Amino acid sequence: MVNVMKGVFVECDPAMKQFLLHLDETLALGRKFIIQDLDENHLFISTDIVETLQARVDDLMDRISFPLHEKDP
Amino acid sequence: MGPPKKSKKDRFTGDKFGKKRRAEDEAFTQLVEDGDSMPSDGVTELDGVPVAASKNVETNDDGIMTDEYGAKDYRAQMELKPDHTNRPLWVAPNGHVFLESFSPVYKHAHDFLIAISEPVCRPEHIHEYKLTAYSLYAAVSVGLQTHDIIEYLKRLSKTSIPEGIIEFIKLCTLSYGKVKLVLKHNRYFIESPHPDILQKLLKDPVIQQCRLKREEGEGFIQGTLEGKAITQFGTKLPPGETAATTSATDNDPNAATAAGTAATTNPDGTPAVPEDITNFYDKIDNEEEDEDEANLKTVSFEVNQEKIEVIQKRCIEIEHPLLAEYDFRNDTHNPDINIDLKPAAVLRPYQEKSLRKMFGNGRARSGVIVLPCGAGKSLVGVTACCTVRKRALVLCNSGVSVEQWKQQFKMWSTADDSMICRFTSEAKDKPMGCGILVTTYSMITHTQKRSWEAEQTMRWLQEQEWGIMVLDEVHTIPAKMFRRVLTIVQSHCKLGLTATLLREDDKIADLNFLIGPKLYEANWLELQKKGYIARVQCAEVWCPMSPEFYREYLTTKTSKKMLLYVMNPSKFRSCQFLIKYHEKRGDKTIVFSDNVFALKHYAIKMNKPFIYGPTSQNERIQILQNFKFNQKVNTIFVSKVADTSFDLPEANVLIQISSHGGSRRQEAQRLGRILRAKKGAIAEEYNAFFYTLVSQDTMEMSYSRKRQRFLVNQGYSYKVITHLSGMDTDPDLMYKTREEQSQLLQQVLSASDLDCEDEKVPGEPGYRPSGGAASKRAGGLSSMSGGDDAIYYEQRRRNAGSVHPLFKKFRG
Repeated sequence: MVNVMKGVFVECDPAMKQFLLHLDETLALGRKFIIQDLDENHLFISTDIVETLQARVDDLMDRISFPLHEKDP
Repeated sequence: MGPPKKSKKDRFTGDKFGKKRRAEDEAFTQLVEDGDSMPSDGVTELDGVPVAASKNVETNDDGIMTDEYGAKDYRAQMELKPDHTNRPLWVAPNGHVFLESFSPVYKHAHDFLIAISEPVCRPEHIHEYKLTAYSLYAAVSVGLQTHDIIEYLKRLSKTSIPEGIIEFIKLCTLSYGKVKLVLKHNRYFIESPHPDILQKLLKDPVIQQCRLKREEGEGFIQGTLEGKAITQFGTKLPPGETAATTSATDNDPNAATAAGTAATTNPDGTPAVPEDITNFYDKIDNEEEDEDEANLKTVSFEVNQEKIEVIQKRCIEIEHPLLAEYDFRNDTHNPDINIDLKPAAVLRPYQEKSLRKMFGNGRARSGVIVLPCGAGKSLVGVTACCTVRKRALVLCNSGVSVEQWKQQFKMWSTADDSMICRFTSEAKDKPMGCGILVTTYSMITHTQKRSWEAEQTMRWLQEQEWGIMVLDEVHTIPAKMFRRVLTIVQSHCKLGLTATLLREDDKIADLNFLIGPKLYEANWLELQKKGYIARVQCAEVWCPMSPEFYREYLTTKTSKKMLLYVMNPSKFRSCQFLIKYHEKRGDKTIVFSDNVFALKHYAIKMNKPFIYGPTSQNERIQILQNFKFNQKVNTIFVSKVADTSFDLPEANVLIQISSHGGSRRQEAQRLGRILRAKKGAIAEEYNAFFYTLVSQDTMEMSYSRKRQRFLVNQGYSYKVITHLSGMDTDPDLMYKTREEQSQLLQQVLSASDLDCEDEKVPGEPGYRPSGGAASKRAGGLSSMSGGDDAIYYEQRRRNAGSVHPLFKKFRG
């Protein structure tokens, strides 16, 4: 029996890969989404998760950045 | 802006103070911590702050349309003048003022704005200022009048001034600064040039009671503020320079006026200066100087000395805050101390300007002077003491800076060892007969039992009437602590010195009313351009997290997270690389780390000396001396004890590996460590470097941004370095291999929770007395540090004191 899964090839830096693995393991997005852990910089993940994942990564980036100019109170 | 609520938490942290045990010798750094994590503490009372001070002009523009970029449409309220290109200012209805720094009248406008408003942001071309109640109060107290302020603003502005602003200025200035509390011949007088205001005050029953009547039916004491010679600071400037400065000030307005008259026919198209601006500037400028010459009619009445507190409070309640002035020249009660500036001590123009504000009319005003670190605050303090020439008390926040102040006094003034008395836990000189006492805040406010010797000194200190009190690093003292100092020390005038009048909890404004208004604030970028402070290249170095560390970072709890990003091996490597690079150049490097675990690990691994809280005074001085003079010691590691008042003029490279959250002040203070102008440096080139190492993809990135705000507002820019070239090929760097890195990870993971925390400095909430920390350390990895011995030694000594109950009994 052959299973065909549509996937996306992801290239990222090692730290970001860890973040993705972390999301995968903790089921933060509701389920596992990594199909294959290829090497240090590459992952193969399922296609349908990509949008949620992008939102999640944006979220991380927002959290670690800080607007230099506060808005007027 | 309502008054802060009193909460239980406040009381709790207050108690902490009393329990402080080993407080005497330690750097009392920051009681009220910055950063969002800390609750605001301590400073609760608002008494001593007039009601008008809480008025806020910021909300004046509610209902103004704001577009998607945050721009506001003020066209309805502000009318553009036809000759607007020649005028340098925009005054927005919300109290913000924008100044074009390339305008030909920039210098005039800048001086004026500094006097009446707070600088918000000063990059190269457009400066932003803000009118606040405090800044206007300060303006009045240095002698500006309401109508002058409004009139000059009108002339400088490109547009009409919004009604709201005019009202605000009137509101904040009309009642301020009209009455003064003057100490003359050791009697207190309330003095005012406006008899009607005095009448009004006297109608108040509370004040009536405080009035001291020598004879029945006595009217006001008529007096004139006589013309006095302009205060000369110390010895005269070298003749050439004096001539240069005076001619500059003389010529400048004239030249400008000439330019103004010629404006209409200017052929080469240089921007013309409207005549009214320069004329008016002349007027204001002269006013400042003529103040001494003119005989001002004043009226005054004497008040009862014991009721000073009451009257001050009452005056604030009825919106006429008393400005305290000290007529030190006429004070015959307190003996003069024999101290003068040495001829070699030459004040820089901005130092003189700031002092002129303080001694403007031949009397000493209380207030705060803000100068960047390394711009010579000590000289300002020393000069102030030499000008007053009465007993002086200098308060600073660590034992090391006490020594440094003493040195400064000896360097700039004629004071010798017999006149300067140090009063710290380690050095207690005989106070009797000395003119200058240098001590720490914690030493004065210490509530626990003192040694007999210290007790004697304290009693002496309390009995004295001090001419001037200099408060170093005044931003660090919370209002509560400051009040306690005030109850202990009787001082005629107070001078606060700081580099960063800034606190995350915004309580800094209260200092205005506790000490006095801000008298002067220097522009960092301008001092840098003129070469008075070093030209610093700020850089943020991004260090990628190693996968293993990032993995742990994602899964662990908060406190250890911090340790993980500080101990990130690539950060270590970057640090090592930078140190090597700068050592090769012959630079002197200081590495800062708030986290003690990291501090020790980095320092021991790289075999460099380090200083942190428990390091003894002797060892500290030894390390600092070596750093200064020993060619082989080019790098030292320090914890946050070195944030303020560590004078290291040689250092020109600073590397920050861990810091206290998003504290803007810490960033500025640290930068200050390398700001001192370097010998033989060229002002156009960068001659100092400030690196912050940041672990990528972690919270540190966010903190780093937050911390940079203050310096960015001062006009500094940060360069982001994503990759240090040559780092990968350097074979000597540590933690190259995976194995080494994972060993490091193991060490980090096995570190205790205590190691994860920032170092606590005495006086800070959450500080643990050294006893507990010492026992902890005994089991830790750092027995090889060598600092432990000092702790035990100290410990034993202290125990010896309590182990002998017999001895105590004999003493009764």
